[in-house]
Amino acid sequence: MKRNMAADSPRAGASGGDRAWDRLLESVSGPLVACAAALPVCVVISLSAGAGPFDLIAGLWKGAWGSADASAATLGKLTPLLLTGLAVSMAYQARLLNIGCEGQLMLGALASAALASAASAKSLPASLLAPLTLIAGAVIGAAWAYPAVWLKQKRGVHEVITTIFMNTIAIHLCEILVLGPLGDGTAIGRTGEIGDGAVWPPVWQYGAMGLTAAPFFAVVLGFLAHFWLSGTPWGFEVKAAGCNPESARAAGIEVERWQKRMFLLSGALAGLAGALEVVAVHHRFYRAFSPGYGFDGITAAFLANAAPGWVWLSGLLLAGLRAADKWLQLAVGISPSSIYIIQACLLLSVAGQPGIRDGLGRLVSNLRAGGRVQLGEHTRTGEPESRP
Amino acid sequence: MTTLLNLFLLSLAKSTPLLLASFGGLLSELSGVINFAIEGMMLVGAFGAIWTAWATGSPWLGLLGGGFGGLVIGFLHAVVSLKLKANQIVSSIALNLLAAGITGTLLNQVFNVYGTSPAVPKLPGIGETFSGVLGLPARPSSSVGEGLSILVPIALAACIVLWVLLHRSRYGLHLRACGENPGGAEAAGLAVWRVRLSALLAGGFLAGIGGAYLAIGELSQFVEQMTQGRGYLAVAAVILGRWRPAGVTAAALLFGFSEAFSEWLGIQWVQVPSQFFLALPYLLCLLVLLLGLGKRQHPSALGRL
Repeated sequence: MKRNMAADSPRAGASGGDRAWDRLLESVSGPLVACAAALPVCVVISLSAGAGPFDLIAGLWKGAWGSADASAATLGKLTPLLLTGLAVSMAYQARLLNIGCEGQLMLGALASAALASAASAKSLPASLLAPLTLIAGAVIGAAWAYPAVWLKQKRGVHEVITTIFMNTIAIHLCEILVLGPLGDGTAIGRTGEIGDGAVWPPVWQYGAMGLTAAPFFAVVLGFLAHFWLSGTPWGFEVKAAGCNPESARAAGIEVERWQKRMFLLSGALAGLAGALEVVAVHHRFYRAFSPGYGFDGITAAFLANAAPGWVWLSGLLLAGLRAADKWLQLAVGISPSSIYIIQACLLLSVAGQPGIRDGLGRLVSNLRAGGRVQLGEHTRTGEPESRP
Repeated sequence: MTTLLNLFLLSLAKSTPLLLASFGGLLSELSGVINFAIEGMMLVGAFGAIWTAWATGSPWLGLLGGGFGGLVIGFLHAVVSLKLKANQIVSSIALNLLAAGITGTLLNQVFNVYGTSPAVPKLPGIGETFSGVLGLPARPSSSVGEGLSILVPIALAACIVLWVLLHRSRYGLHLRACGENPGGAEAAGLAVWRVRLSALLAGGFLAGIGGAYLAIGELSQFVEQMTQGRGYLAVAAVILGRWRPAGVTAAALLFGFSEAFSEWLGIQWVQVPSQFFLALPYLLCLLVLLLGLGKRQHPSALGRL
């Protein structure tokens, strides 16, 4: 009924039907458009590598979920991707971009591995060592994030620049430390094995390796973050500070302080991702520890529109891509780099939603108006991103 | 004395890609579009240069190919961030991912290798070019200066031209109008989208040439992820230079110097871990940013449509 009314007065503005339609478009069009954009790209890559048109997609599926081992590997990769994705999206609630997850993750992992492998720590009871290991990772991650937010607030340097630099510095610093004072003395560049008390054993015998509780822990953290943001006054303050700092400030919300807190929280989550990777997967830190989990976190966050409650989904998608990349090379003969192309297409089509939605909205209202000439344009501009 | 001179020349060589890329970034940021995609532009530029030089055998065509590669990324950035109204930082990050993916995949498909491309002809050095032009017999370059890529003086000249263009030409005025007040520019009859598109294309071309310098000026091959964050250094140079050509030039030279200095120190102090010298340029840049240079003045409409 409402729909008909809207059709009778096409430019009645935001009538009920329009709004419901908009909301539907908003929630459905994102993932749909992203998949629709990625599909032909997959086919093109596949064909250009001389494989059949759907070999890439089939290979991805097989590599990620094709066997018990594969799906266990995918779920294992979910932990760091979800946590770094969560890190990026929590910082983005205050409209800060933490591109530094990679460095925070590396240093967090190194800190927790160094702590848990120290000879004196190995004799600690598990009830003390296990939480300490995670806390060490989180604290170091937050500490490595701090300079970026400090420089932003005191010197006005964009945090993307500083966090990128901090990444590079962290990666080299980790190498120096792990080859030197924190290493196990070999030239391989790794720390000693962590104490048994810190290890997260598999809780579910699935595949050859089994599954630890880490991915589930990460998922729970994601939902906690979601409910914290949507259901508490603090969450409200954060969102207010992010959406409109000026009026938030006028309403007495401490915008700068929330920015700092969220950024530190973001660093802590990234550090925690590293620590969990140590205790649940590798049981030590070694050179080239992260295959870019920190950078994938950015993709994970923005694929889910920076909504902490949905990062698990985008994290799962990326974990599948990550888990399948070697399979692609071995079984299909497609370069593992192609997963970056797929990621980029997904991200671009999600990021381009405002424009795509405009286009779809115009198309829909044109159809609805039966091709009548439209007065005014259906304009909805994207969220302005400014450098304060 | 020779050490100092060599250090200076090495700084120039290291600054060249940064200078080209940061002027590319400056163009797009002055027009009001945030551009962190410089990294991707440089990477695709480097690959485009190698591919073209390999296919045609001419490093000069390779240079053009490199510029074209960067231009393609610039075009995509324009479409996604201006037409599809994406968040410009997210779009940049996605394009950097795309660049990493495309170069890696093409490297595998074109050359059938992983990691490093085969060697291709590289751009001549300054000495070689002059003896070529003057018809002198070819000889190995006798000094660091003669061995510098011919692209070094070309880049310096290009920056001076751009400087004049930005501040003394009608186009420069249009560009800055779009960055300061796109609504006003539109009202005055400027096609803001077209001006911004042109800035991104030109910026992409410059950044692509900067990437090409890495591939066929310094080396003669493509290495996966060979830009190693230089694109972000270039953006930092734009910010540090406060969106002014003189400042950006100074910042790019400073970053180039710190890179050269770290390399030189690495040879002097062998007992210090080499990773320290790899991190040093970034530490120095952070330090410079830390000292702060007063209030920054970015174009008022930066990041807004």
